[in-house]
Amino acid sequence: MRIVVCVKITPDPGDLQVRPDGSISLERAEWAISNFDLQAIEAGKKLAEQLGGTLTALSAGPAQIATSKLKKDLLSHGPDDLTLVIDETLRAADTAATARVLAGAVQKLGSADLVLCGEGSADLYFQQAGIQLGERLGWPTFNAVCRIEPAGEGRLLVERDLEDEVEVLEVPLPAVLMVTTDINEPRLPTMKDILQAGKKPVNEWSLPDLNLAPAGDGVEVLQVTAPRQVQRKGVLLDGPVEQAAANLVQYLSKEGIL
Amino acid sequence: MDFRLTEEQELLIHSLEELLARHAPESLMAELDEKHQFPYEPWQALADQGILSLGIPEEYGGTPADILTMTLVCETLGKRAFPLGIIYALGMITIRDIVQFGSPEIKKTVLEGFVGGDAPVALGITEPQAGSDAAALKATATFDGDDVVFNGQKMYCTLAEISRHIMLMTRDPGGENPYECISMWLLPTDTPGVRFNKISKVGWWTVPSYEVYIENARIPKTALIGEINKGWPQLMANFEIERLALCAASVGAAEAAYEDAVAYANQRVQFGKPIGSYQAVQHLLTDMAIKNENMRNYIYKIAWMMDNDLPVRHEHAMCKLYVARAADEVIDSAMQILGGLGYTMDHRVQRLWRDIRLMRIGGGTDEIMYNIAGPQLLKLGRK
Repeated sequence: MRIVVCVKITPDPGDLQVRPDGSISLERAEWAISNFDLQAIEAGKKLAEQLGGTLTALSAGPAQIATSKLKKDLLSHGPDDLTLVIDETLRAADTAATARVLAGAVQKLGSADLVLCGEGSADLYFQQAGIQLGERLGWPTFNAVCRIEPAGEGRLLVERDLEDEVEVLEVPLPAVLMVTTDINEPRLPTMKDILQAGKKPVNEWSLPDLNLAPAGDGVEVLQVTAPRQVQRKGVLLDGPVEQAAANLVQYLSKEGIL
Repeated sequence: MDFRLTEEQELLIHSLEELLARHAPESLMAELDEKHQFPYEPWQALADQGILSLGIPEEYGGTPADILTMTLVCETLGKRAFPLGIIYALGMITIRDIVQFGSPEIKKTVLEGFVGGDAPVALGITEPQAGSDAAALKATATFDGDDVVFNGQKMYCTLAEISRHIMLMTRDPGGENPYECISMWLLPTDTPGVRFNKISKVGWWTVPSYEVYIENARIPKTALIGEINKGWPQLMANFEIERLALCAASVGAAEAAYEDAVAYANQRVQFGKPIGSYQAVQHLLTDMAIKNENMRNYIYKIAWMMDNDLPVRHEHAMCKLYVARAADEVIDSAMQILGGLGYTMDHRVQRLWRDIRLMRIGGGTDEIMYNIAGPQLLKLGRK
């Protein structure tokens, strides 16, 4: 069984800085594996261990995703090999462009039985790329997957955690599944995993290798700003409840809120 | 000079940080401390994650790692869960002695057990009359056929009752030169004739220490580690790395205290402003940060020297002396910045403050470190 897990590598949201005008700077951010994809990697690894087979990690983005440390980081989490699609136009790719590239890569890799994705990405969290990827491949596609079990030759038992119900499905392969963050607790790489990661195969493709044109600007981002932080006033209204309530009304009126 | 860590080291430390967040959160470490309980579950998590296998030969389940990598591990443990750093550091001397001098049977028993999550072998050297003057120990080993019979009393034997074995140091009563009359043994802690009395301490509540009474404890003489009467130089062979590891855990503790202090200085408002806006607090924080930076650089350099087989005779003692004091000062300053909150039993800093003080005593006192470094420095000056 060949499993492909799609992984987004993004500037680490923990490193973002808010400029005085409220705009966001990611200039000093280290690039990292999107948190939501670690569960997808773990789900793929478990299935590969259960059913026998290989797990390929697949990512697309600008040159920043192809550092030696990121490759080792990704591969130390369990994939047997890694394929990267690198192009500068993928830096600000929208979900449609990303899905197009991932679909091209999955088709070029060939013989995939299952593609796994995280539920969203750490930077934009549109939760769209996996769905669109499934549509492009023409495979059964499900999101909100919280459990995956083998269900005989060419089939998986898939549990979906929906708002008011848990849906259990038998899904024929090949398929695309987007897993939730509570599907598992990703294992942590050991020193042995880290040392072995440097020896695993890495495949780097460009968009022309996939016969794809550069990613266009499908979405124009006008502005991204952080919510304005307001210093708490720390006003304490004590005393009897009636008096405190009256003081509160008076205070809110004075502040122009009421 | 390249100060960067390798990618493998960065990834390992990142993984360890996540492991500690899962299995040794501050709330658990505080609870264990309050209950005076050994951190069994976090220790087992370190074993399961292969952290305890670092530096152990691969034939016993180990993973290759240099001393700098193990120093980074110890520093991280010290920062996130100080007792784990201490326990790891204490294992540095006994476990490495067994790697170096143990028979194949002893190595298999101890090393595979340690990699699997056993507590490190406890070191039985200090006695009521033999503290800093460790070579004045009197415990005896008497051969009787294929057996050896031990008698004596050990003090401050940390982890003795937790561990499966004590690395017992004994003296040939006829000998005077410690290099020729001290032997090293692996004594199972469940041997009849071995009794423990837990010692009440100011700190290190999750890392217990014991008086150990040994009366006619009989085991097969195959328990000898290395050569008969060569136990002293065997022990000395790994004292330096144990001290480095204790230093690394101390640096971690100081970093944790600094983190708490700087966060509090930014948040705590007095006289209408965060206390960090006052120069008095800024000076304290700056001095703490300088000491942390110096300590880190010192331990990394000693680790690098060891990895390159360079002698660290006086350097390691100077490092231990500096780090034990500087870490103590940094944590004391953190308590000062935190004020009354830092002195309450609810805050991590009080625990670090109690725990760090032993670093100026255990593993060689400040005064002994001067005694090691001073003569070496004079000798170098004579060349």
